[in-house]
Amino acid sequence: MADTILNVEHLNKNFGKKQVLKDVSFSVQTGHIVGLVGPNGAGKSTIMKAVLGLFNYASGKITIDGDPVSPTSHKAMDKVGALIEYPGIYPFLTGYQHLQLFSKDSTSKDQIMDIVDKMKMDSYINRKAKTYSLGMKQKLGIALALVDRPKFVILDEPMNGLDPQANKDLRTIILDLAKQGTTFLISSHILSELEKLIDDLVVIDKGQIVYTESMANLESGGKKLLVLKTSDDAKAKDLLAQNNYQLDDGDKLAVIENDQTKMADVIKLLSDNDIEIEDVQHVHSDLETSLLNLLKNDKVKES
Amino acid sequence: MITLVKQETFKLLHKKSTYAVSATLLIIMTIYAVLTKNYPKYWGAPQGQFVGMFTGATWIVFFMIAACSSIIAMEFQYGTIKELLYRKYYRGQILVSKWITMLLYSIYFYVLAFVWSLLLKVVLFNDKFQLSDTYQSGHSVIEAQWLGIIGTFLTVWLVLSLVLLLANIFKSTAAAISIGIIGYFALSIISNVMFLLMQKWEWLKWNPLNMMNLPQQLLSDSVHKMTLLSTPEMVCGSLVYTAIFMAISYVVFKRRSV
Repeated sequence: MADTILNVEHLNKNFGKKQVLKDVSFSVQTGHIVGLVGPNGAGKSTIMKAVLGLFNYASGKITIDGDPVSPTSHKAMDKVGALIEYPGIYPFLTGYQHLQLFSKDSTSKDQIMDIVDKMKMDSYINRKAKTYSLGMKQKLGIALALVDRPKFVILDEPMNGLDPQANKDLRTIILDLAKQGTTFLISSHILSELEKLIDDLVVIDKGQIVYTESMANLESGGKKLLVLKTSDDAKAKDLLAQNNYQLDDGDKLAVIENDQTKMADVIKLLSDNDIEIEDVQHVHSDLETSLLNLLKNDKVKES
Repeated sequence: MITLVKQETFKLLHKKSTYAVSATLLIIMTIYAVLTKNYPKYWGAPQGQFVGMFTGATWIVFFMIAACSSIIAMEFQYGTIKELLYRKYYRGQILVSKWITMLLYSIYFYVLAFVWSLLLKVVLFNDKFQLSDTYQSGHSVIEAQWLGIIGTFLTVWLVLSLVLLLANIFKSTAAAISIGIIGYFALSIISNVMFLLMQKWEWLKWNPLNMMNLPQQLLSDSVHKMTLLSTPEMVCGSLVYTAIFMAISYVVFKRRSV
């Protein structure tokens, strides 16, 4: 198990009588970026807090880099950086003072300035945090999670309140760090953003893990479609069906692509039969579609 | 642990209110000293004012109640509690580092007020009285001041341990401050009733409010007849109650989900 940094086994957690986590098990490979997604209230933050040793849990086992984690066992936290829910900010301190306060003694001034620079916070890092906008606070929160260059980083909704440029900067930083061996566990609702980052996906619904898969598998599992718009869609459909093309059910004229499907052949077939092609589009099922389908199937029964 | 205390001190030193409060304390003490010098009829003998550090002793109680409730409650208010707790440190260490910081802060206040009261004495009342003059029950002025400081220090910490506990339970500064201040001053209001009840049911002498009479008892033995406790019993009582409140705080803090 040397290559997994986080192991969660059979984790159960109750808030009063309501069971919020049910037998949650998953692991995170070292150096991977793992997305934790699920509907509101599914238990994402709860899992993250449990992993950070902020919660007592009823049963189960959490280990980071082999060390057990619980509210009374925090040794492993030395290797972890995190941003949970919203960044905790003291209004009376400047951004730089926050980084100074929370960074380890072994973290040099250069290292602090390095993350400030990468997050493009230079212009306001010496201003008191009470003057910060939501996005600035969010960036500071992320900087706090990364400043000590931890082995394992947990980010809960890191894109919250970030503008498009900051979003892109964050993506670059995360991908760079991952290349250098940092492991990330990231939750987000902005699936289009998450999709650009993650290697593996963990889907949680109603306190249970419903799906764990690598992105590569997820993408290959989805349908690729060639969507056409022609002068006579009905005729085109018949024609394509006769020529053994698989068509997608639905109102639109869409050919399900496989390895043998060649766009040129489709176009030639249609134009030879005097059907004018007005538009052609490749459509991949994206993370959002796959995920919504997955959650719609509702593998989880409310207990 | 030293790192954690340093971090708490760092936060304290970067709050404007820390400096404002210290300045306020000195200004108020100065005002009272000047008034005492100019209008001795209304403000009583300068020795008495000096013993009470020109009301400084009372103000320190207010300031420390506010500081103790905010050092706990602000972490919940600002959401920084998560950042404090998910690190490699144990929860208990986080809480204890806050206690130590507050202990140092209270010592700082007493030293500051003591030095300033000496200064005011030298500048304004040098010809009025000597520190070695007899003040009360055979104690000299300076002895009386020191006994007062020791007594209030112990009772203040009894109140502060309760404030720290309440801030921990309610996660709000307002609740902890109000109950702390009301608690501290409730004594003067209900002490007569309390003393009467204690005559009837003697075991009531062990109630925490009675411990608050320690500063008076240190200065004059006659208070013993009211409190029904010897001075060592009161000192121990104060410490035991402080320890009990701290212990409950510790358990509450350790069990809290954030």
